[in-house]
Amino acid sequence: MKKQFTRLGLVAIAMCFVQTFLFSQSTISGTILDTADEPVIGASIIVVGTTVGTVTDIDGTYTLNLPEGAEQVSISYIGYATQILNVTDGNLSRIVLEDDFADLEEVVVTGLASSVKRSNLANAVASISSKELTGVTSQQTVDGALYGKLTGVNIVQSNGAPGGGIALRLRGVSSLSGNNQPLWIVDGIYISNSEIPSGSRFASGANSGSEEGASNRIADLNPEDIESIEVLKGASAAAIYGTRANAGVVIITTKKGKAGDTKVSIDQDVGFNSILKRVGRFQYDEASVREAFDDDEAARFAAAQAAGQVIDLEDEIYGENGFIRDTRLKITGGNDKTTFYVGGSLRNEDGIILNTGFARNSLRLNLNHKLNDKLSIGVNSNYINSNAQRSFTGNENEGGLSYGYTLAFSRDWNNFFPDENGVYPLNPTYSGNPIFVRDNAVNDEENNRFLNSASLDWKIFQKDNQVLRFNFNSGLDYFVNQTFVYVPETHQAQVGGDNGFIGVGRNVFNNFNYQAILVHDYYTDNNINFTTQGGISYLDFDRDLVLNRTTQLIPGQTNLSQGGTQETAQRIENEEEFGVILQEEVNYDDKIIATVGGRLDKSSLNGDPNQFFFFPKASLAVNLANFDSGLKGKLNQLKLRVAYGETGSSASFGSLFTGLSSINIGGNAGFVVNPNQGNANLEPERSRELEFGVDVGFLDNRVGLEASYYIRNVNNLLYERSLPTSSGFSNEIRNDLDLRNRGLELGLRLAPIANDRINWNSNINFWFNRSNVTRLGVEDGTDDANDIPSFVPPGVAFGLGLGTFFIEEGAPITGLWNSVEGVPTQTGDTEADFQVGFYNEINFLSNWNFNFLVHWKQGGDVLNLTRLLTDIGGNTPQDVIDFVAENSEGDDAKIRGFIEDASYVRLREVGLNYKIPVGGKFLERVRLGLSARNLITITDYTSYDPETSTKGGSGLSTGIEVTPFPSSKQIYFSLGLDF
Amino acid sequence: MNKILSYICICVIMVFASCTIDEQIDPNAPSINSVAENATLQELNLLVNGIESSMRNGVDVLANATGSIARELYIFDADPRNTLDLLGKEGAQLDNNTFYLTAAYNTRYRVVKTANILLDALDNTSSVSAAEDAGYRGFAKTIQALMLSQVLDYLGTNGLRFDVADPENLGPFLSEADGRQAILNLLDEALGDLNGSSFAFGLSSGFAGFDTPSTFATFNRAIAARVAARAGDYSAAISHISSSFFDINGDFSNGPKHVFSLSSGDLQNPAFKQGGQNGDQWIVHNRFIENGVSGDARLSKFRQRLDPTSQDDLNGTHETALYATNLSPIDIVRNEELMFILAESRMNTGDPQGAVEVLNIIRNNHGIGDYMGGTGMDDLINEWLFQKSYSFWGEGQLMFDLRKYGQLNDAFLPIDRPGDLIHTQFPIPLSENQ
Repeated sequence: MKKQFTRLGLVAIAMCFVQTFLFSQSTISGTILDTADEPVIGASIIVVGTTVGTVTDIDGTYTLNLPEGAEQVSISYIGYATQILNVTDGNLSRIVLEDDFADLEEVVVTGLASSVKRSNLANAVASISSKELTGVTSQQTVDGALYGKLTGVNIVQSNGAPGGGIALRLRGVSSLSGNNQPLWIVDGIYISNSEIPSGSRFASGANSGSEEGASNRIADLNPEDIESIEVLKGASAAAIYGTRANAGVVIITTKKGKAGDTKVSIDQDVGFNSILKRVGRFQYDEASVREAFDDDEAARFAAAQAAGQVIDLEDEIYGENGFIRDTRLKITGGNDKTTFYVGGSLRNEDGIILNTGFARNSLRLNLNHKLNDKLSIGVNSNYINSNAQRSFTGNENEGGLSYGYTLAFSRDWNNFFPDENGVYPLNPTYSGNPIFVRDNAVNDEENNRFLNSASLDWKIFQKDNQVLRFNFNSGLDYFVNQTFVYVPETHQAQVGGDNGFIGVGRNVFNNFNYQAILVHDYYTDNNINFTTQGGISYLDFDRDLVLNRTTQLIPGQTNLSQGGTQETAQRIENEEEFGVILQEEVNYDDKIIATVGGRLDKSSLNGDPNQFFFFPKASLAVNLANFDSGLKGKLNQLKLRVAYGETGSSASFGSLFTGLSSINIGGNAGFVVNPNQGNANLEPERSRELEFGVDVGFLDNRVGLEASYYIRNVNNLLYERSLPTSSGFSNEIRNDLDLRNRGLELGLRLAPIANDRINWNSNINFWFNRSNVTRLGVEDGTDDANDIPSFVPPGVAFGLGLGTFFIEEGAPITGLWNSVEGVPTQTGDTEADFQVGFYNEINFLSNWNFNFLVHWKQGGDVLNLTRLLTDIGGNTPQDVIDFVAENSEGDDAKIRGFIEDASYVRLREVGLNYKIPVGGKFLERVRLGLSARNLITITDYTSYDPETSTKGGSGLSTGIEVTPFPSSKQIYFSLGLDF
Repeated sequence: MNKILSYICICVIMVFASCTIDEQIDPNAPSINSVAENATLQELNLLVNGIESSMRNGVDVLANATGSIARELYIFDADPRNTLDLLGKEGAQLDNNTFYLTAAYNTRYRVVKTANILLDALDNTSSVSAAEDAGYRGFAKTIQALMLSQVLDYLGTNGLRFDVADPENLGPFLSEADGRQAILNLLDEALGDLNGSSFAFGLSSGFAGFDTPSTFATFNRAIAARVAARAGDYSAAISHISSSFFDINGDFSNGPKHVFSLSSGDLQNPAFKQGGQNGDQWIVHNRFIENGVSGDARLSKFRQRLDPTSQDDLNGTHETALYATNLSPIDIVRNEELMFILAESRMNTGDPQGAVEVLNIIRNNHGIGDYMGGTGMDDLINEWLFQKSYSFWGEGQLMFDLRKYGQLNDAFLPIDRPGDLIHTQFPIPLSENQ
């Protein structure tokens, strides 16, 4: 076989010379310009119906030898409308490309090694350009930057601390057992988006690592490096990613260098974090203290008041203005053989709580090189150092650490500040002094991360009607996450028990993947093009998580060895997967585009690691407007599309095993049954999605509508279910649950004004999703002995007494349930009724640019347990008490117990930018900007932020609030220099 | 084109053949099946240690949840449900899916399961002699019976799921009476195993003096006496006491204990609360302070706080001083309890004088002199309950004693906040699907 390929290669190389001489009849040449008369570099000129073509050089000029019989050429470039011209036309020497308002020519990466023009897509693939991503304001994290910009995407910030803690959910819940997070792919690297707990729960008493409020590792990506993001929301679009794609796929492409003069940009942002909303504290006077507590407490209040020592603890803890600075350097350039992109970024952010913050230092080099006409390689490498000071927020149990918890039970008239000897007073009403914790306790993480990808494109073989390409891409995501938690031995809750806590985590992640794909394009004379691809994909993820803990600390020491009791915990995880891909695409003259394909996957996470599972796909797009030139005159686009696909998801690591846990008594080691019962025969859960839609564009594509409706059935959903605990096990993992998500997504794109002075683009997105559990055990099998009764999924909330998720056949999976007179009853739903994103970009007076993004979420409930705690601690402010009382009456009350309506309208992003064209030899341009994030929020929700999740980003867990890190708003001033 | 497709096919077939993923073995823990066949002596002993160790999980909940209901104490900590649900605030019912139930219930059955794994392992190994085999069985069944008796006390008339040997086919819930009988039968079975057996395993220092088959059997009988007394079978209780480690002249605190250490993987005493600590404290119900008899040594269990404390409209001046340090042991069953069982059994079998004799030993031991009250049944019940409430404050007994004598209600216990309820038993956990 090797010999064959070598011969093929030689033939191919020989042919490209032969072709030029034998088939060339005539030559055309010219310049391609945009409407501003700037040369368009890299535009492609292709002879229609062949693979013969070229691209424009740095000056926008091209020369093309036409093969015999050539009639038309197609001129295209991303961002411009494609033109088809006859070779006999006289205007080939100067071609002006018009703006493509609808981005129809934009190429969307949908297959593993192929892309499709947006106008030919059969799915609603959402994409975000770097302009939309980072053009308005300075962005903290990539996932946070997507808020409100895409249909069908629900984003929840579980933790308001700088550095993220964000859950992205595409088209509803797709998995219960593990990650509902999509697969993230950056330049072909399957990157980790883990939330890595620091072990602070061993000091705070939080129930699980998910309650520690860790950041998710997408935070490491520098948003400025990103060229585009494509979001494959459902199985119909993501089927080619098989068993990793049940929750969708986010494909990120980073910036590449452009041939031409080396361009340098420097950007500097400075800004401030401040609390998004203050909830407030109950305003006591002496009489109300007496009424709420007793005479002694009233006397203490009076004394503190007389001494001027009544403070506002909320303001004291959450009232900081955190300074933000972000410096970015971008260098791009190259020649026709080699291009490079260098992106450097230093971001440093202080939080609204003293001693919290996030810093990210990122350096990226993207290098592309053409060895010859046949072979090109690319290497992208990115080193990131990030660190965060997360401090302590969220749920806990008697740890005395979480600020919100402490504040709920603390009284503003007690003294919390240290005396002249540095001794902090004990909190008389809770197990920790928040000022002590803020000043002395530590919960830090640091990541050192390498993202590397290498790709090779080899044009094995080319004739004028076919081409065979080979694409190889490998990715490596390696990082070490280090965590450090320190709670001094003098912390109130530690005294007499653990006497201080140190937790040091060393977590090594190593994700490796590669794929090798052959792609064959075949053009026929009757305008039917075939694209065939087949290949393999392999991934190997290794994780080694080690947490060392020391208690019984030697006073003042922060070293693991300086304490009386040491414990080590290690968790090793390994995942290996292998897949085979085949896909055939048929394109009839851009009129009818049909695709069929599928993927075979096997995974070490399945019971039988060598059993292949098949995930098929098929789609059809019909561009009606292309059939009839009369119609084309009125409508720029009229496309009907339908797509079907399947994806899967394997159980999370460890689900196959039932183990024995080690334990100790008085120095005698022992083991005891692990309450999580594994299942050695697991198969992946499977999504089956049917999506159909219509895309319409008219008035020169200045008005466009994209409408999609999807039905996604998740079959054999993997889920943990509480077992009768009398069995000795608490949970088992099963897969006899079916879930249906249905939803509508509308995107309306407008360009109301487009002239020399004002250019206004507007996107209005509207979407909703509805879920329904269609089978639990046996469908409608309530009397069947094999049926599974409705149940509370383990670990998602705090029991039916307070409100929790509850899985019942026929009910939405996002419902919040309470025990009402002993009967589980649905009292809320975390799913929004609908969401609307309204994005506007206005360019005016040639150098001014104004952008804003409004995000409206209607409906969707949150269980506000922060209020439960402040109620008990007597710290719920009067206006909240009144509001709750007013809105708790009646069947359609906004507030039912602690379940509150969490609708909101938020000005997510707003920015005003001004470009000063210096035009000097050295300095080309100066850019100035003023922008803000989350500037205005209108909501009736009574706590900090209707976006919240005390259990982190996984599984069902959104919409449960327990004393989170309050969200912040940011205001930025930006200065940019282009050289 | 056909050529190219065939190349693709060849590539694909080659790759199919070459990539095999290894069978998966848990890299993080031994499998539950590792002891199912040919378990070694070391593995059996690891299970014994696991059983003894995990018995301690949840003992604080058994004590403080029942203690809240019996108005012995309030839990002032970060979880609102401790003063809300447990005290029936504004009529709040006990939830069947909340930690005060599940933490107690799940931990008991986890021990039972581990003991069943030990019993299964014994069925399938030849690494121990017949006498050693019987020793393991006697140990495992005694501990199972103790765990199940704690569950039954918790659930009361809701009954007990006794047969849990097969997780796929759990036995039915037995009535309270049948459950008690099943537990007693299991204790008798265990006693039969212990007779003539030998221990090939060691226990922690908490079982010092109870770590041979014959001495462990006296612990088995003490548990049998407790269960029989709860069942109201007082003649049986008296008989079990006589075979237990009971000693009327002996040290009150004698008996096996849960011990704690700072070793890696070990536990600290979860019922210990640092003096002066706020936000995680057991506050003594004021009635214990107000009704305390001066000179009663047991009042040292209550430490006066510098400042009274209040939470959720509840107040207290004293906090727990039941355990001196975070390593203080917790009694599993002690001589003093057997004295109370003896006194109770005598007063219920027509021997009031005999009961008073024992009560006086208890009273004098704690420094409050002889009993001077009436010897009618009601008087004796009240005296017995009063003494037991001080002797076993914060140890998870009073709720069940009050319930047995019809005093777990607002006629006998104070209502601290208007609208509070006094619960009498815990519901069956939701996950049991009953």
